[in-house]
Amino acid sequence: MSTNNKQGGDWKSISGLPLKQFYSEHDIPQAYRERLRADPGEPPFHRGAHPTGYRTKAWRIFQLSGFGKPEDENERIRFLLEQGETGFIMEHDRNTGDHCYNVDHPDVVARREDVGLTGAVMQSVRDIDICMKDLPLETSYGHAGGAVVQHAPFALAGYWTVARQRGVDLARLPGTGQSDFFLTYLGCVTKQQVPTAAGLRFNADIMEFCNEHLPRWVPVSIAGYNGADTGLNAYQELGALFANAVEYLEEIKRRGTMPLEAAARACGGVNFRASMDLFEEASKMRAARLMWQQLLQQRYGITNPKVANLRIHCVTAGSRMTYQQPLNNIVRGTVMALAAALGGVQSLGVSGYDEALSIPSEHAHQMSVRIQQILQQETNIQAVTDPLGGSYYVETLTAELVERAWVFFEEIQEQGGFLATLDSGWLHERAAENQSEDFRQQESGEQVIIGVTDHKDDISPFEVDGFMGVDDAYDVALERLHDVRRTRYEAGAHRALKALESVCRSDQNIMPAMMESLEAEVTLGEIGDVYRSVFGDWATPIQT
Amino acid sequence: MNTAGKRILMAKTGLDGHWRGPTVVAKALRDAGFEVIMIGMARPEEVMQASIDEDVDLVGLNIGGHVDVAVRAIGMVRESRPEVPIFVGGVVPPHAKRKLEGLGVEVYPPGSQLPDIVAAAIRLTGAA
Amino acid sequence: MSEQPVQNLSELFEQACAGDRGALARLISILERGGEAAAQVERALASRTARGYTVGITGAPGAGKSTLVNVLLGEALADAGRIALLAVDPSSPLSRGALLGDRVRMHSHAASSDVYIRSMASRGQLGGLAVATRSARRLLEACNWPLVIIETVGVGQVELDVASTTDTVVVVLNPGWGDEVQANKAGLMEVADIFVINKADKAGLQATRRDLEGALAAIPQEQRPTIVETVATEGRGATDLWAAIVAHRKRITASGELSMRRDEQRRAELRGVMEARLELALDKLFASDTVSEQLRAIGQGDVDIVSAGDTLLVELFDRQMPSRT
Repeated sequence: MSTNNKQGGDWKSISGLPLKQFYSEHDIPQAYRERLRADPGEPPFHRGAHPTGYRTKAWRIFQLSGFGKPEDENERIRFLLEQGETGFIMEHDRNTGDHCYNVDHPDVVARREDVGLTGAVMQSVRDIDICMKDLPLETSYGHAGGAVVQHAPFALAGYWTVARQRGVDLARLPGTGQSDFFLTYLGCVTKQQVPTAAGLRFNADIMEFCNEHLPRWVPVSIAGYNGADTGLNAYQELGALFANAVEYLEEIKRRGTMPLEAAARACGGVNFRASMDLFEEASKMRAARLMWQQLLQQRYGITNPKVANLRIHCVTAGSRMTYQQPLNNIVRGTVMALAAALGGVQSLGVSGYDEALSIPSEHAHQMSVRIQQILQQETNIQAVTDPLGGSYYVETLTAELVERAWVFFEEIQEQGGFLATLDSGWLHERAAENQSEDFRQQESGEQVIIGVTDHKDDISPFEVDGFMGVDDAYDVALERLHDVRRTRYEAGAHRALKALESVCRSDQNIMPAMMESLEAEVTLGEIGDVYRSVFGDWATPIQT
Repeated sequence: MNTAGKRILMAKTGLDGHWRGPTVVAKALRDAGFEVIMIGMARPEEVMQASIDEDVDLVGLNIGGHVDVAVRAIGMVRESRPEVPIFVGGVVPPHAKRKLEGLGVEVYPPGSQLPDIVAAAIRLTGAA
Repeated sequence: MSEQPVQNLSELFEQACAGDRGALARLISILERGGEAAAQVERALASRTARGYTVGITGAPGAGKSTLVNVLLGEALADAGRIALLAVDPSSPLSRGALLGDRVRMHSHAASSDVYIRSMASRGQLGGLAVATRSARRLLEACNWPLVIIETVGVGQVELDVASTTDTVVVVLNPGWGDEVQANKAGLMEVADIFVINKADKAGLQATRRDLEGALAAIPQEQRPTIVETVATEGRGATDLWAAIVAHRKRITASGELSMRRDEQRRAELRGVMEARLELALDKLFASDTVSEQLRAIGQGDVDIVSAGDTLLVELFDRQMPSRT
């Protein structure tokens, strides 16, 4: 996967940065050298968010998890917590969730066997309640699902409603949302979703609502991961992520409804990908912290260290996991996790070794946790903060990534901003260029993937055949949907839905009405229908 | 090789919109001279209707979920256009691959190389 | 390609007329390939009296044509009953392959028995696109499709010609295209019966509308193209667009302009057919020894290029043309 130099050409990083045989002090750009004097926990934070690093707070083991019925997902989450996971991610079924369809939507019925393959089906607050059974809401750190922009208001309101019904004070509830544009507007484009302008409004509404009611909640988490796994290289991922953050900050600034510093804090928990170029990826995490500090200071005059200190969740590159010889992926997962840890991330998820075949089996999930535990507890990696700091190579790479990322950021601004590059397909073209180049390099032998391009013969006593979840997710979901419709207080649900619709048509914050709707057992598909009638569909620039 | 005027239908059977793979494949097929008709995420009956209306010489399915959804689409295409060959790509675990190959369709799982896929299209459309 | 025998052409034609879409689709492929089989289909079509209506929709890439057509189909189906769409995209000049993605944006009609969608590649050859598209249109009309929509990317003259030899021509623009309106003034003003400003929620709508109205001011009121604003992604304006099409049809039918247009269309079609035939014959001639001989003679200074051309023209008409391609 790295540049193999088979042709005897120049060595390059995966992102195409030229690499020297070795690095010396004078390779570090002059302008960057004074930053070397900063310690971890000091601006500009490239050396780490806190001086004590992992000594006082190990990175959070945070695995994407979910399939089947809500009770299946609940069981898997509890298994992972028992295995040592220190936070949990409640994934919703993507067929229904990403599209805001109920299971009886014709597009879902046509693919009924797919239902529950990528997360539990949750169409009403009752399903979310089942999925959250006995989970430690106040002591653990929950990801409520809603990775996708249009789905997030439903998923968050559902999680919060259940928490409230259990007597949890929302003001004390920790956790995170995601509502990420990269996922369904760039990486895997849904068949129907609200236009980007409506999506921006949703995210700003969530930020406002959390600012008022859920101070410990991370309202949105920009996932450069999804950009990178679609083809953006390391510096493009950085540039695009901060261009996205600027959209949020500008929207809040325009509204003037909450302090800009609070808004910056709200979007300062982000999600990056770690891929196979160990030093480039570790440098990327360092570069990201530096860039956030620069952005806030230079563009918005924000210097408060509590805000300017970027927090990073990192996921290892799913697209780098191979279908062939899947057990090799355990090694890949380890290397990518190491890159993230060396880069000082706060939280980490490792893709399952069966990622290219299916959703993770229980064993693959356990391995993802074990990889992180072994790194944390057997390697002494947590003893020293920013262990790569001062390396001529890593400091040079960090500086070069920052420089190139700002160039890419400016290109996006010239295109009219991050959302405009999604609408026009400009960002998709950048990703597609890199994909084509990857394919070309694999064909030419410049890029090697063990088991795929080279060393294709292997012996393995273990067959890995892909985990296909359970086969009753659709039937049970359909039954429960009918049950909700039959037994809820219909007049209340109808009223709540009507109120939501009129809020959608106004410029008020949608979240209070969304909370009312979940409370009144309005279903996901009904909310989706309101979106579709009020906002219409995003015109995807993707042809396939 | 004469791919001129040969038409290939490309569809995604699932509702998951990963476009990286299908796009790269579609472009490679276009560059080999094929007319590639893309219909995006399509239900089995939509795949069937497009294969009829567009008078295609080959159907390519990108599958991302349960193999039975693809099996249903294959069945519907076969019923209306039995002479049209079908090939499949995407996330296809070994058990699904065996099932699909048992139905007589060629399978190109992740890691398949583009020249192999293009060669298959040329062979299956009789453009060789 | 055109030489392969096609069995049961008339049977296929009967099936297509009886509503068999597989037969219809195969016939369109035959028309696209051209040659003797296509000519046979044309002969079969001649005796059918067509009573269809055709709408052309054109505009620059990215103007939102496919999305607009998708919502227009929804709007027009109730009146028209059945609609056929020919969606034309350019072929790659290098590989002659094409990516045809219009259907992606038309999933609301993807499995409808009342909507026939056919994606066509321009296939590069001069006149070929126009011939195949117009033949397909005649076939669809003969098979009782009452409304045919032809969508083309209005980038080249050929594509513009195809869309503009229809009964009602819709040109799609976007806000902020003042300069384009100015630059393309002549071409666009000549062909458009209706202008759509799609993405009307974007900045620059008023300026574009003003530019457009200014450019149209010289046209007499009763013939002046209507301007419709749409946001196709939200379905906004689709009703207005369909109403504008219906009104235009009514007006040109009542005024007798429609029959004049049909004469014009036939004239353009005839010319197109002849151009395509001539080009094929020329191709064939240039592959022959006769041309090589003349080229040699020109090279040696034995004959001038104009006289050689005349000799070859005689050759072309006497020997090449009588035999069908």
